[in-house]
Amino acid sequence: MTQPIIKVQQLDKIFSTDDMLTYALQGIDLEIQQGEYLSISGPSGCGKSTLLSIMGLLDFPTNGKLFFEGADVTKLSLEQAATIRNEKIGFIFQQFNLIDDLNVYDNIALPLRYAEQPLNKKFIKEKVDHYLDLVGMSSLYTRKPTQLSGGQQQRIAIARALVADPSVLLVDEPTGNLDSKSSDQIMAMLEVLNIQGTTLCVVTHDIRYAEMAKRKIYLLDGQILGQRN
Amino acid sequence: MTEIKIEMKNIGKVFETDDIETHALKDVNIVIRAGEYVSIAGPSGCGKSTLLSLLGLLDMPSSGTYTIEGLDVSSLSLDEAASIRNEKIGFVFQSFNLIDELSVFDNVALPLQYKKELPSDEFIKTRVEACLKMVEMSHRAGHKPNQLSGGQQQRVAIARALVADPAILLVDEPTGNLDSQSGDTVMAVLADLNKNGTTICMVTHDARYADMAKIQLKLLDGQIVKDETLKVAV
Amino acid sequence: MRKFILQQKQAWASLKKKPGFVLTVLMTMGITLGALLCAVTLNYLLLVEPLPYPEQERLFVAEHVLLGAEKESKGVAFTYPGLVHLYKSKVAFEQAAMMSYGQDVIISHNSQPLVNTAYVTPELHQILASPMAIGRFFEASEAMGTSNPVAILSYSTWQKEFNASKDILDQKINLSGVSYSIVGVLAENFVEPELAETGRETHVWMPWDYNHTGEGQRQSFGNISGNLKFIGQLKNGISQSQAEQLLTPLVSDRWQEGVMEIDFFKGWSIDIRIRSVKEVVIGKSESIAIMLLAGVVGLVLIACANISNLFMSRTAEKQRQMAIQAAIGATKKHLFKAMFAETSLLMFMSIIIALILAKVGFYIMQQYLAEVLPRVNELSFTPITFGSAIIVTLIFALFFAKLSTRMINYRALNTTLQSSGKGSGLQVSKKTRQVLIASQVALATVLVFANFSLLKDAVKTINAPIGFNTENISTLILNFSSTNFPTNEESIPIMAEIMEKLTALPEVESLSQGRTPLGGYSVRALTNVANNERYTPYFKGVDHKYFDMIGQPLVQGDNFTLTHRRDGVNVMIVNQAFAKQLKADGDVLGMQISTGRPEPFKVIAIVKDISIPGVTAIDNDNVTDGVPRVYIPNRLGGQSFILKLKSGQSVSRQQLAKLLAEVDSRYSVFSFNSDAEILTRSLFAEITTAVTTAVLASLVFLLAGIGLYGILSYGTQLRRFELGARMAIGAKRKHLILLIISDNSKAVLAGFVGSILLFAIAYIGLSEYIQPFLNWQVLPMVLASLVLIVLVTLFACYWPLRQYINQPAIHTLRGSD
Repeated sequence: MTQPIIKVQQLDKIFSTDDMLTYALQGIDLEIQQGEYLSISGPSGCGKSTLLSIMGLLDFPTNGKLFFEGADVTKLSLEQAATIRNEKIGFIFQQFNLIDDLNVYDNIALPLRYAEQPLNKKFIKEKVDHYLDLVGMSSLYTRKPTQLSGGQQQRIAIARALVADPSVLLVDEPTGNLDSKSSDQIMAMLEVLNIQGTTLCVVTHDIRYAEMAKRKIYLLDGQILGQRN
Repeated sequence: MTEIKIEMKNIGKVFETDDIETHALKDVNIVIRAGEYVSIAGPSGCGKSTLLSLLGLLDMPSSGTYTIEGLDVSSLSLDEAASIRNEKIGFVFQSFNLIDELSVFDNVALPLQYKKELPSDEFIKTRVEACLKMVEMSHRAGHKPNQLSGGQQQRVAIARALVADPAILLVDEPTGNLDSQSGDTVMAVLADLNKNGTTICMVTHDARYADMAKIQLKLLDGQIVKDETLKVAV
Repeated sequence: MRKFILQQKQAWASLKKKPGFVLTVLMTMGITLGALLCAVTLNYLLLVEPLPYPEQERLFVAEHVLLGAEKESKGVAFTYPGLVHLYKSKVAFEQAAMMSYGQDVIISHNSQPLVNTAYVTPELHQILASPMAIGRFFEASEAMGTSNPVAILSYSTWQKEFNASKDILDQKINLSGVSYSIVGVLAENFVEPELAETGRETHVWMPWDYNHTGEGQRQSFGNISGNLKFIGQLKNGISQSQAEQLLTPLVSDRWQEGVMEIDFFKGWSIDIRIRSVKEVVIGKSESIAIMLLAGVVGLVLIACANISNLFMSRTAEKQRQMAIQAAIGATKKHLFKAMFAETSLLMFMSIIIALILAKVGFYIMQQYLAEVLPRVNELSFTPITFGSAIIVTLIFALFFAKLSTRMINYRALNTTLQSSGKGSGLQVSKKTRQVLIASQVALATVLVFANFSLLKDAVKTINAPIGFNTENISTLILNFSSTNFPTNEESIPIMAEIMEKLTALPEVESLSQGRTPLGGYSVRALTNVANNERYTPYFKGVDHKYFDMIGQPLVQGDNFTLTHRRDGVNVMIVNQAFAKQLKADGDVLGMQISTGRPEPFKVIAIVKDISIPGVTAIDNDNVTDGVPRVYIPNRLGGQSFILKLKSGQSVSRQQLAKLLAEVDSRYSVFSFNSDAEILTRSLFAEITTAVTTAVLASLVFLLAGIGLYGILSYGTQLRRFELGARMAIGAKRKHLILLIISDNSKAVLAGFVGSILLFAIAYIGLSEYIQPFLNWQVLPMVLASLVLIVLVTLFACYWPLRQYINQPAIHTLRGSD
């Protein structure tokens, strides 16, 4: 068996506000293997987004351990976490999170510009052009995100997530802000990416889309309730 | 036949941003009668929230007519809309939307302040206390919202929605920010209110809760695809 | 009403939650509006408020303007007989009074205080309608020529020196050996016209006859004195210029007749100049007051920009709350009223603080600026102060409320409610923010630079080398308390004994007869015998030890000797400035100079120039104030001394009074002042300027700093989600810091360009005032201002970013804390 890309062991996340302690996640154990398509679903507030952000090194667990490609990343500095996010993880969010001031091209190029070693322009251009083409947005690369429809914005977000060749794509409610037609297109695109070898972890509360994954995890009140293949 | 509280005829809503035109709602027809409990369900992006803001006069439709208790409210000025919201509509939001600086009591009393005639202190006190009692929150009247759990905050929000005796309660994903147990409690409170005569229109994507309503509407891509009236009362 | 109270209550409840915000607004607006109220009240007092005298618009001062042969002005001062002639003529004036200012010692009093005196004719009472606390003012029986020894005390002197004794009337006081009977005390609210110098208060008033003009000078048309004043009420229907035309020939003819025998004045004449009392009193202070107001208005503008910014970010912060209120039925008017309740409450509290601070400001001005600014003793809350306070409160409250509610996009409020906090609905537009940053930077740069320059000039004057020693040096001037003034010969042995005793004091290191370089000058008419050129240099008698003692070196020739003084030899030492006037190459040794006496003076030495601060412009490379000075040997009977004390030692006035009494009971201490004190006093304006500008510069800098910080940190807050997205992609700290800095740099640069534009406008408008300041020396000031502003900007870029870049990325991305 190959080494899992992400491995979560006995993970807790506790939020404390004033005099109340809330268990957002409790005793989570999970592995994501190379080439997998995993979905995490559950009702609002079940902790699925929190789990995703911890796996994406956007947040840190209260208890438990987190391994990324075999290395213990439970207690990284903020800067080390930033480097791993930049090199190994691609994010897709419900709100697209594109940068309004930058055009489509620059949005996609952004992860490469944050690379540890400065990359040459030609390399960046080749990469960006490739992924623009992949998501079918080559013709609109000079537009600003505000000039695009939601579906188009999400496609740009996918290209941006892929541009640095990450080990895993973490996807948070990708269709939350989209109409059903665009949603279907985006989900289809993700499925194709997976078939071509991209490791995917999708958080959604839409059962229809959760079912598209090869492995499904159901979360309730911070705990894994069940898991199906 | 009971009184018609709300009637939407051929309502449409178009959003324009830069060069893109999005039809958020197309040809929506809804009738809600006194004492009914209506749920509107559908996936994200189907137009639920848009429909709710039209129902609640937070936004105006691009086409169609909309009447509340026989009054045409299809195109109102901002201030007219505000007055009618104040008189006829009670809102319950997913994120509670209580004002952190005010106590529970003051939060509930807030809608009364925007009445054309400021009611007497005595009236306000009686009314607020009655509403807090309905949601079983009388004991926390002096607390601030951030001292309450999510479920309790949502119950306070319901009390606030009720205080001005609205024609209809508009409820938006009331359990979205709650754990399942609190969610159940809040839903039970709503069911109770409806039993005692409050007209409720609720938006949710949680199938389990949508089923609690007697009339269930399904929305997909801005259109109502299913209008299912359950004959069976609980 | 119930609604109003409810709104105020809610506003208070809501404000209580944000003590930082409230404190910032109250401090900023309180301080700046306090300064504004002060400046407005001062300006009103100086520019508009009538003087507190009846028919003050008809009150005028007449002055002698001495004109040379070419009608050029030689000075403004009366001759004693000239003034009396004008007074007696009774032309043009309804009623008029003569005044002579002086100083004297109340020798009958235990502490023998030195007091300011004025010798006046009784008409002054009608002219000023002087209110009395006790007794009366002078009457006709105390007019000129009656020699009736009575005196009137000022209110403060009565309080301080006489313990406000109720039976003060008919008590006797002795000044210069004359016993005066007190006939009245002026009321506390009497305002003395500041005709002689700003801030001078007359302590004891006496009839005209007792003024200190010597018998000889009373008849002499050749002697002028700056202490003589003429004030009166012009007759109805006679204008200022008519009065000048009427009086000029009258006075000039009489004067020319009087100086017929004096060659020096050949071809000279006199013009009568009539100026309103107000003009004399206010003088150049008008422009100081206006400058002050302009500076304060600048300050208020910066503060206003800051607070606007705060209110806007607060509105943005409250957008959710307002959306909730709108959802449950609040109309625009409701929201505006609620906002206005907050802003008016804040402004009301600010203005209360401002009024308190203004009161403090009045007190400070009265305590410290009485000698710089006229009429400050009249400063108090007036309807103008309260009126402007109310207007300012209303304007700012409405402005801030309008500004805040104008931002609300009422139609977009519902999006705020539905999206869970990640609102895009309401924010200060990027353009507005950039404009705020740029204007903040521009205003701050200009004001900081202007204050820096003024501060530097003032400090330069304060620290400028003066060319003589003042350390441990004091001047002792004796008071002779008898009317029979001794001749020089009589006083020589007495002075010799006094000097012996003074030298014997263990505290005294050395002694010189005469007065220090800071005083004791007169202006004399001199003629170069060789070519009959006329000069009017400063004139001073010194002894043979003087130059050594104060460390003013001779550059050519030999010092005076004791023989010169004893025998009254006509020799003269001139300074370099006068030497240059006399002869271009400055080689003047042996030159004959006439003072009008039969035998001319011979120049025996040239002494280095000195520079008395506060008089003229300072030249750092050459210590000189450019004033021509002439020194002659003084007589042995002179009654003033320069004492150099051993370091760390001091001598008291009482100690000296005792020493003098032992030698001759008729002598007492007139004044005993250290040079250091006099210097500080003469530099008072500069020190005041230095302190004021330093305070203003720091205030401006502080306010601009707060403002820039506020707006930059708000901008950063708005970009929170964008920053979060960048962090998720893997941006590191340095990426984000550089991003924020480079994005804000444009606005800051625009601000710098704006400040240059402001300067250009100021330069075009005020070039004659600014030109002297423009040289390469301002460059360091410009750089310092720029560096300060840049540092604040960098700080304001980094600090708000901290909370995002030092936390796990999810906090920034989700907006949960």
